[in-house]
This record gives sequence, C-alpha cells and structure tokens, in this order.
Amino acid sequence: MTTEVLPLQRGPLYYAWRRFAANRAAMLSGVVLLVLVTMAVFAPLITRTGPTDQAFLTQALAFPSGEFWFGVDDLGRDFFTRIVYGARVSLTIGFAAAACSVIIGIPLGAVAGYYGGRADWAVMRLIELFSVVPPLLAAMLLGALTGGGFFTIILIAALFGWVQVCLLVRAQVKAFREKEFVRAAQAMGASPGYIIRRHLVPNAISPIIVGFVLAIPLAMMLEASLSFLGIGVPPPTPSWGQMINTGMNFMYFYWFLAVFPTGALALTVLATTLFGDGLRDALDPTLKGR
Amino acid sequence: MIRYILGRLASIALTFFVVSVIVFLMMHAVPGGPFDGNDMPVSAEVKAKLNANLGLDKPLYVQYLNYMGGVLRLDFGVPFQSPGETVLQLLGRAWPPSLILGGAGVLIGAPLGILLGMAAALNRNSWIDYLASAFATLGLTIPVFVTSMMLILVFAVWLNWLPASGWGKPHSWVLPILAYATIPMATYARYTRSAMLDVLNKPFVTVLRAKGLPERRIIFQHVLRNASLAMVTVFLPMFIGTATGSIFVEAMFRVPGLGAYFVSSIEQRDYPLEMALILIVTLMFCFAYLISDIAYALLNPRIRFGGGEK
Repeated sequence: MTTEVLPLQRGPLYYAWRRFAANRAAMLSGVVLLVLVTMAVFAPLITRTGPTDQAFLTQALAFPSGEFWFGVDDLGRDFFTRIVYGARVSLTIGFAAAACSVIIGIPLGAVAGYYGGRADWAVMRLIELFSVVPPLLAAMLLGALTGGGFFTIILIAALFGWVQVCLLVRAQVKAFREKEFVRAAQAMGASPGYIIRRHLVPNAISPIIVGFVLAIPLAMMLEASLSFLGIGVPPPTPSWGQMINTGMNFMYFYWFLAVFPTGALALTVLATTLFGDGLRDALDPTLKGR
Repeated sequence: MIRYILGRLASIALTFFVVSVIVFLMMHAVPGGPFDGNDMPVSAEVKAKLNANLGLDKPLYVQYLNYMGGVLRLDFGVPFQSPGETVLQLLGRAWPPSLILGGAGVLIGAPLGILLGMAAALNRNSWIDYLASAFATLGLTIPVFVTSMMLILVFAVWLNWLPASGWGKPHSWVLPILAYATIPMATYARYTRSAMLDVLNKPFVTVLRAKGLPERRIIFQHVLRNASLAMVTVFLPMFIGTATGSIFVEAMFRVPGLGAYFVSSIEQRDYPLEMALILIVTLMFCFAYLISDIAYALLNPRIRFGGGEK
C-alpha cells in the first residue's frame, strides 16, 4: 500500500471491479461461466466422439461409470459428450439472442427517450403489446410458423428480450437528455443522430451491458422450454431441453438421462443470472437493491 | 380517474385488435391445415369439402371478420380437434384443473414468499438473508419443468411417497402444486425483500424509532403496510400468468388441464381454439394490469392520474 501515491487517478472501472470482486456469489458464477464457455468452445478436445455419433450402441443406457462419466443414452451416444455439446447450443443461443436484443433495443430505446412525445408513445405501445401477449404462446406460434430450428429460436428470444434493454436505455437517455453537455452539443448544431450515437448511448453503456447479460439466461430458458415442448432445436442437435424431455421417459430407472441435462441447465442459467446481478450491482450502485 | 380508465380501456381495445390481427395472420401463415395430419389421411376432395364447410376456403379477411364477429357475441367457435363441443365448453372442462393448480400454487407460494422476503429483509446480510435470497434466485432461474423433474425424482421415484403423475385423487395434486408454488414464492420473496428494505431506509422509520415505538409495531404497522403496495400490484398478473405458466407443470405431471391445448391447438392448426386461447389470455392480462394499476392508485394516495404520463 505504500506505493499508492495517486489513488485519485483510478477510473470508475476500477471501482466497478472492486465492487464486483467483493460479491462472492458473482465471482464464483463468473468462474463457473468461464469454465462452461471454455468447455463449449473446446468441446471436440474433451470428448471422444461427436455429439451425434452412436458409437456405443452395444452399451446403450449404460449407467455413469469411469468410462462413461454421465452414462450412455438410449441411442448409444456418450451422454457427457451430449451435455458438453448442449452447452454449445445453449450458450450460443443465449449470447446471440442477447446480442440481437441489444441491437433492437438500443435504437428504439434511444429514439423513445430522446424524442419523447409521439415516438415515445409508439414505442411504449409496442412494448405494451409485447407485455400482454404471453411470450411462450407467441414463441410457440412463431416456432410452428417457421418450423423451429437454431436461428428461429435466436430470433424469437430476441423478439421478447429487447423490451428490457429498450426500457433501460430509454430511462437512461431520458435522464441525460436535459444534461448540460447535451444542451451544449445541441447548441453547437449537432444532429440528434450524432448526439444519440456520441453522447447518449455511450452514457447508457452500463445499463446496456447489464441488459445484455440478463437477457442471456432468459433466452437460454426459452430455448430449453421450447425444445422441451418439441418445437425448439430439432433432434439430432443436442439441446438440454430436448434431453430432459427424452430423459423423462426413462426416469424411473435410467435417472441419469434426466438428471444431468437438468443440472447442466440449472447451473448455467443460475451462473449467468448471478453474474448479471453482480454486474448490475457493480456497474450501477444506485440500482442495487440492498 | 374515470378519464384515465377510459383511456386505458381504449388502449386495451387497440391492443386486442392488433393482437387478434397479428395472431390470425400468423396462425394462417403456418403451412398446412387442420386436415393434413398423418393419422387420418383424407382425399383432396374430402379435404376441400371439409374446408368449405368450415369456411376455410374463403379469403382471409372474411374468415377474420366472421370469427371476430362471433367473438364479440362470445362465440369462440367449435374446436377442430373435438368437434362435439364448443370452444367455451372445452375451456370449461379443461380450465378447472389448471385453475386449481395455479390458484393453489399462488395461494401457497405467495404467503411463503412474503414470509421469506420479510425474514431476509429484517435479518439483512445474515445467513437467513443469504439463504432466502439464494432460494429466491434458484426459484426464479430454474425452469419449472426442472423443478418438477427434481420433485418427481425425489418424492415419487426415490422415496415413493406420492404419485408422479395423474390428477384423480387429491394426493396426486401435491407435487404439481408444490412445483408450481416455487414461482410465486420466489417472485414474492424477491419483491418483499426489496420493497421492505426500501421502506426501512426511509426517514420516517428513523423518526418512529427515535420516537421509541416498539420495533414490532414499526415493522407491522408502518413498514409492512407501505411495502405491501408494491406487492399488491404483482398479484393479479401473476395469477393470470398461471394460465400459461402451468403448461410445463401439467406436461410433467400429466395433468389434464389447459396446458396441453396450448400446444395441440398450434400443432394441429386448430384455428378457433388457438385464437380463443390467445385472445382470452391476452385480454385477461390487459385487465389484470389495469386493475392492478387502479388498485395501486387507490391504495397509494400519492399517485394521481391525469398528469399525462402514468
């Protein structure tokens, strides 16, 4: 501590990091998330077979053992491999859907917050529309309409994930609209688009990050729910929701077919949510609910 | 106030109209028709005849007007998958199990959640708080079919105390209701905790303490009353949410409720039932929000309508 000569030069990021590091649950879930992402990225390196290879047909439904960590499923596929590749599907859909939510949510939120009036009214009615239609029903209908599939699920999740981001951005932009620096920019003749891009959106970066991270678990849950109902990611692709649904049929004896995907899904969603909560508390202490 | 309610009703009517048009178009845009199933193949002529009988050969806008005209007279048509009854009769038959499941879930979960949230808020940063918060986070993040799965495994498969599925006898109600109750419990635990902490930090609580009021009276007469405002508003939408929220619980426990029809009406292109379900649920949500907002304003004299924004 003796070398700290100029403590005042520390930026807000340093303090955000300090607050985040002090939150043990968030740190732990960050580590878990990192491990999961690493496993998903390097899936081919830590598994022996491909996710759809029926390499162990003679040992189908084998219980977990030293050779098959999570057992073998009913179609002779190594279940550990399926779970690891399932993380790929779940995380990809989560991140992609969250990214799409942010892409839809930022412009709408910024326009509604900056212009107010009619634009705000229109965006708020749109949000109202999305808040009264049960997302699951609409997702089921859209899933039927498009036949399901990987990219459809991302789109559906984004369609219902942008509302949160939009509201966060709108609130932030509204709060900054009347600030002096925005007034100054307006006085110097900056166009609304420039002000939104250069001044308002960068100032809303922490709610955007929080909105992004918190949209991930919602998208993952939607994917799992739809796949569980059989209208999500189609079968050969490993998806945890789908595996839980299949595992249900074998539950009385081959319990591992239901337990491992259930645990994987719960762990991933929980870790992402806690990570997002920690990030929210760290980036914006005023939002902190304690 | 009346102006506000009228405005909201107009907005609900608009929402209802937009939702009905979008859903109707989407529904008919889904490839395939109600008689394309594989289990009962029919010839092209028969199919055309059936479609003509049901008016499915007319242009879409005519079909829409016909259907919505019926809806305004509370006639939701006849479900294709069970032509012996009207949609309303089918709902009357399938809704009660869902309602019992959801209603009991909310009525058991909400008070438990409130207690949990209170315990957490009053023992802030203690192990009780951490335990309650962990429980609430788990309940909100773990999908309900996962919770159901665990309950089935533990209580039905391993301990063999309760049946894993069915709806006949009351003891088969226990697990599904328990599974469903986790959602309202977690929601309420979170809400109550943050609402109570909000109020506990208000200056008037400090004044009451300085005045020497016993802590119990402060909590029950002042803090809880103020905190309950936020809690009242979530109740009704959550209750309505049970209509769709129970789809998974019903699927897991094989409960003969409404849930299965949400899926089957979409899969089998059962247009009247599909429209009816989505329209009714949407309308109930609209009114649930409206009633919640009015209740909030009645309970909280600081809120007054009419200042442009609500």
